Amino acid sequence: MGDDLDDKEYRWETGYEKTWEAIEEDADGLLDTAIAEIIEKGRRKRLEERRAAGHVRLGIMRHLYIILDLSNSMMDQDLKPNRILCTKKILEKFVDEFFDGNPMSQLGWIGTRNKKSEKLAELSGNPRKHLEVVRSITDKYPCGGEPSFQNALELALSSLKHMPSHTSREVILIHGSLTTCDPGDINNTIQELKSQNVRCSVISLAAEVRACKALSRSTGGNFNVILDDTHFQDLVHEHVEPPPMAGLTESSLVKMGFPQKNQSDDPSMCLCHLEDTSACKLSTGGYICPQCKSKYCELPVECKVCGLTLVSAPHLARSFLHIFPLEPFDEIDPVDCICFGCHKSLPDNHKHIYRCKQCNRRVCSDCDLFLHETLHCCPGCSSSITSANQLNF
Amino acid sequence: MEPTEQNLLVVVMDVNPAQKYVRSDIKSFFHVVDSVLTFCNAHLMLHADNKVCIIASHVNQSHFLYPLEIRPGQQSKVTRQTDGQHEVFLELERCVRNQIKRLIMDESFGKFDSSAAVIGANTATCLASSLSRALCYIHRKDKETRPGEKLNSRILVVSGSSESTAQYMAFMNGVIIDACVLGSYATLLSQGADITGGINLRPPHISGLLQYLMWVFLPDVTLRKQLALPPPDPVDYRAACFCHRQLIDQGHVCSVCLSIFCKFSPICTTCNAVFKAPPMVLPKAKKKRPAAGNI
Repeated sequence: MGDDLDDKEYRWETGYEKTWEAIEEDADGLLDTAIAEIIEKGRRKRLEERRAAGHVRLGIMRHLYIILDLSNSMMDQDLKPNRILCTKKILEKFVDEFFDGNPMSQLGWIGTRNKKSEKLAELSGNPRKHLEVVRSITDKYPCGGEPSFQNALELALSSLKHMPSHTSREVILIHGSLTTCDPGDINNTIQELKSQNVRCSVISLAAEVRACKALSRSTGGNFNVILDDTHFQDLVHEHVEPPPMAGLTESSLVKMGFPQKNQSDDPSMCLCHLEDTSACKLSTGGYICPQCKSKYCELPVECKVCGLTLVSAPHLARSFLHIFPLEPFDEIDPVDCICFGCHKSLPDNHKHIYRCKQCNRRVCSDCDLFLHETLHCCPGCSSSITSANQLNF
Repeated sequence: MEPTEQNLLVVVMDVNPAQKYVRSDIKSFFHVVDSVLTFCNAHLMLHADNKVCIIASHVNQSHFLYPLEIRPGQQSKVTRQTDGQHEVFLELERCVRNQIKRLIMDESFGKFDSSAAVIGANTATCLASSLSRALCYIHRKDKETRPGEKLNSRILVVSGSSESTAQYMAFMNGVIIDACVLGSYATLLSQGADITGGINLRPPHISGLLQYLMWVFLPDVTLRKQLALPPPDPVDYRAACFCHRQLIDQGHVCSVCLSIFCKFSPICTTCNAVFKAPPMVLPKAKKKRPAAGNI
């Protein structure tokens, strides 16, 4: 068991900690501010860590399969109202965030129950379709029986190995069951996944399972056991950020089209709803493929006729944010000033002030987090950059 | 009880003197300011909970025109009613006019004031900065709302500037951006409006700006479905290539750093990644190494 040794100790092996002493009451005898500060520190630490990792090559174009355990154990009520409903709610949020942060990526769903695995949805890049899949999980696929992780992983692998080699191949396994019913040796599957550069992360709703831990460790993923539903959400949310590229991958130039949005009064057929029998296929506006002139309602999409990847320039710009993140700001002593972001007078009740290293503009701590986590753009710098670039061109 | 809804309207106003319509007729600028002020008053009048924030966007700087932050030491001036005008309207109007006056009197502004003849290189409005500040402000107000209240916020951009590709920024989802473009077609704003579900409008005459603002941008977002709005313009989603800075509708994108090139090049100029030549161009490249690790 020598390879099982980890840097991380188990909780019961660590020293005695007085965790409650970190929390102090404020002037009104409330704990709110202390707790808010701890949460803020945590978020900042995460940003800092990401920064410290330096320039790693990120897998911007991601192909991700989410394997859902749909066994009997997902009906347990330790998460409210029960595990599967709680998971569903969190995943709905994840789909939105995922496509917001990774517009050039694709998502697929695999479920496993009754010792079998089935594909709930193929890899695709349409967030609306995925939301429908997640919402219908409980109605269409009632939980039951035992899961089979090996079958599910094999299914994911069979689809992921045909993806182009410059993309990042990922699997997230969310399981509540502590057992798995497999046809063969799962270690062989793990080896196969490793050789195909598939990054497997596992989120366990129950407890640590050795096979799962081995899976995530050998393929370079994360293994986590949830503490409660908020922690669960945090863990799922971590996967929104593109991971570093696993192993040696090739780079290539991908041909892409940037279609125009047309709004004409004449209704016409679009190709994305062609197979959909229920709804009306005619619509007035849409995006026209520059190569073969076929119409699509939504971007990004791969043209069904000529195979060209259709994206819009803002999609590319959104993905840029991961490659060029905003530099962290310096923390400075409170002085009388006005926050450059939200125009609030500072300092307000013992909050810290931050300063951008480049433009020296001062912002409040709320804006600092907002700029780094959501906006990825400094309002001060973006006004001065304009002048610099203007002079260059 | 139904949760109370607040409507926050953030107006980003372009006060750049190099705008086309300002250069052709300086008076029209005051007309635009008047129209925007009247429009803001109308928005405030719709509901007692409605809020307005106005940000001026200028060359290399952006300013909050309204509301002004009162520093702890300062005394806030109490506005008294005159001529029977509502205090909030008066306050807003006075505040914005004073601020704009200060901006115009400012040295940096004066430098550009005579730019009717010479348009230097440095005349682009920093919309990106103003928009991110507007989003910060919305974020702050969102945090300040009490539980049980809901804040609907949107941004209206009134601009007549030609844009620069340098300040390309991605817009955040969730906030609706309306664009009212005075003058030439603005690709960036039309994309932003389209992504966030807003309206991009180009009024044909500046003299009728107020009517357009009232008609299209005053009603709530939920009411827009019921309005007969002008048909949307086609949105240009083309990207500019990194090598020649030209808009292209088909191009090659580097899988590592997402740089866009209009022609195939064997090496990425941004991140120095080396690409395999596509097999169609160079049949030699078909010679596969066994250790490639794919398929």
